[in-house]
Amino acid sequence: MPEIKLAIVGAGRMGITHYAIINSHPDVSMVSVAEPSPLVLTLMARYLSVATFKDYRQLFDQTHPDAILVCTPPNLHFEIIREAGRRGIHVFSEKPFTTKFAEASELARYFTDLGLINQVGYVNRFNDIFCKVKEYIAGGLIGKVIRFKSEMFCCTVTHRDEGSGWRATHECGGGAVYEMASHAIDLVNFLVGKPEKIVGSSLNHIYSKNVEDAVSTTLLYRNDVSGTLYINWSDTSYRKPVNKIEIFGEGGRILADQYSAKIFLNKPAESWSLHQGWNTIYVTDVFKPVPFYVRGNEFTRQLYHFVECIRNRSAFSRCTFSDGADALEVIEEIFTDYELHGRI
Amino acid sequence: MQAIDRIVFGDNQFFGINHMSQEKAQQLSEQFFNISNVYQVYDVAFEAGIRAVMLNSNDRAAVICDHFRENPRKYGDIRWYPSIPYPHKYANLVAEKGIIPAINEVLFKHNSTGDILGIMAKGGIAVFSKDALMVMQMLVDLEMKMFRGLDIKVVFLQNIITDLILGYGVRAVFEGYCDYIRKRYGALPGLITQNMPFLKSKLEEWGIGEVVICSSYNKIGYLMSPDVESYVMAARNNDPSVYQLMAMSTLASGAIPASDAYDFINRQNIQSVVFGASSRGHIRETVDLIRI
Ligand SMILES: NC(=O)c1ccc[n+]([C@@H]2O[C@H](COP(=O)([O-])OP(=O)(O)OC[C@H]3O[C@@H](n4cnc5c(N)ncnc54)[C@H](O)[C@@H]3O)[C@@H](O)[C@H]2O)c1
Repeated sequence: MPEIKLAIVGAGRMGITHYAIINSHPDVSMVSVAEPSPLVLTLMARYLSVATFKDYRQLFDQTHPDAILVCTPPNLHFEIIREAGRRGIHVFSEKPFTTKFAEASELARYFTDLGLINQVGYVNRFNDIFCKVKEYIAGGLIGKVIRFKSEMFCCTVTHRDEGSGWRATHECGGGAVYEMASHAIDLVNFLVGKPEKIVGSSLNHIYSKNVEDAVSTTLLYRNDVSGTLYINWSDTSYRKPVNKIEIFGEGGRILADQYSAKIFLNKPAESWSLHQGWNTIYVTDVFKPVPFYVRGNEFTRQLYHFVECIRNRSAFSRCTFSDGADALEVIEEIFTDYELHGRI
Repeated sequence: MQAIDRIVFGDNQFFGINHMSQEKAQQLSEQFFNISNVYQVYDVAFEAGIRAVMLNSNDRAAVICDHFRENPRKYGDIRWYPSIPYPHKYANLVAEKGIIPAINEVLFKHNSTGDILGIMAKGGIAVFSKDALMVMQMLVDLEMKMFRGLDIKVVFLQNIITDLILGYGVRAVFEGYCDYIRKRYGALPGLITQNMPFLKSKLEEWGIGEVVICSSYNKIGYLMSPDVESYVMAARNNDPSVYQLMAMSTLASGAIPASDAYDFINRQNIQSVVFGASSRGHIRETVDLIRI
């Protein structure tokens, strides 16, 4: 089978990591990178055998990739992805996919109509523990879900002087909601489903002038299901990003983060080898090794999955543009709710 | 190649690092808030016969190094295995500011010798990229500053950097790093990786030898890509005069009981184990169990 010709658009932090990971895939040949930063571009041109471009259109014209990874600031994703679609290119886009729900839905429809592989980088869907929790919930381990709490903490913004760069404006896709809450929202969409209504949203500024550093909200569903969301990206008590989710169901409760899950069951569940009362599973109990590791199994797995979907068109994509659009719909509702009711 | 220590005492426990449990991490960071508790644990390790220390170049490590330097009579024979850089410092800076400003800040914040942004503004991007290896050397020196005057055996590159460059397959960076560590520090170059078999095969292909490779090594294959069988094979076929292998995460973050873990480790063709523990009992037990 011919190799998949792959390109990266936006070689910043994520683009650089993704390159190293996917370059290890035997079916992939890295052909080109588009990146405006002259330093990164010169270094890549010097040390790697890829074509480098300042402009992604030139990259498309001259290197004809089969697939791209889009890792630019989020506000640029829409144009790049639409152009890729026009040229029949499969796309993996970093989260939060785009900055507008309308654009996200348009791309989701467009790529489905074209029959092109489309994936968004909600990496938690490929985490060993969260995959296990998904199995538990879908398999009815704790019965009907009634309440949940989805949280994310990290220490990304911890000084007042961090006013530059795309993370400092909503227009570019910055702020704790687009950057971090998107992960916690997608995790809810993945495990519990998309909420019907958002109420009680509040945003806080801790260090940033123009964007929020913390956010909380309440998510409502039909059938009396509800949950809360709390994200803080200025919490220095966390050394690295952590997603936490707690789900209460009729049959018990699950508390999980990327590394472990605690499960309380009202009744034993022999088919899962879980007993009544408290159980703990660690990532060491459930992990599946990956062929090449750079920064967590989930990062390798999500990109290898993208390649697998391109190779084997019948493979079921585990995080599509449509999933990306769902998260953006919730994000827009949070902003609207906050504008209407969130201030005194 | 000079033989490395059979047992090396690690440092994760001192910095509130426990990947599996946040409560445990919290408890450790409280326990070791008082730095004299850290020194006490080191003393227990030395009493148990350990003579080698691996230490990551974070802010607290500088204080620890001072302590050891100030007591040469007690600690003069301790051999050092620094690991650089402290990845979170860079990760956060790069996230906040972007790559170039981050390098600039790290290299020149407390230093008036120059300014990377300045060099680049003078049309020096070409200079910078031609001298990327020089920038790497400056970063190495910066991270190594805190270890000056200590007896340095191996300087390890952290796995996040090793595996990134391995993914890119850039031979020049590995060559540059290894040469520099040998020449500048008179030490063995060390590479920490989560992809030991692949790294070893690339180093062989590139003809880069006399390197210490440190990787997770445990019987359940945790943090061992692609799988435990490939590790066992790579170790079995290894010539320790070319690559010395050091095992870390031997207990897979606590998933394997110590006796089982070392039953497995003792049957492997590896030269060294780095482990961390914070109680006298665990330290003694581990030293007894390691029979490589
Ligand atoms: N999944 C995760 O855990 C995770 C973590 C961090 C970031 N991200 C996402 O990844 C994306 C990038 O984030 P980052 O942290 O790498 O940011 P970054 O600022 O480090 O990188 C963005 C890069 O895009 C480049 N760029 C800007 N305009 C461009 C253009 N027109 N064409 C090509 N390149 C262009 C910039 O020069 C920069 O190098 C964002 O969508 C972000 O939300 C995901």
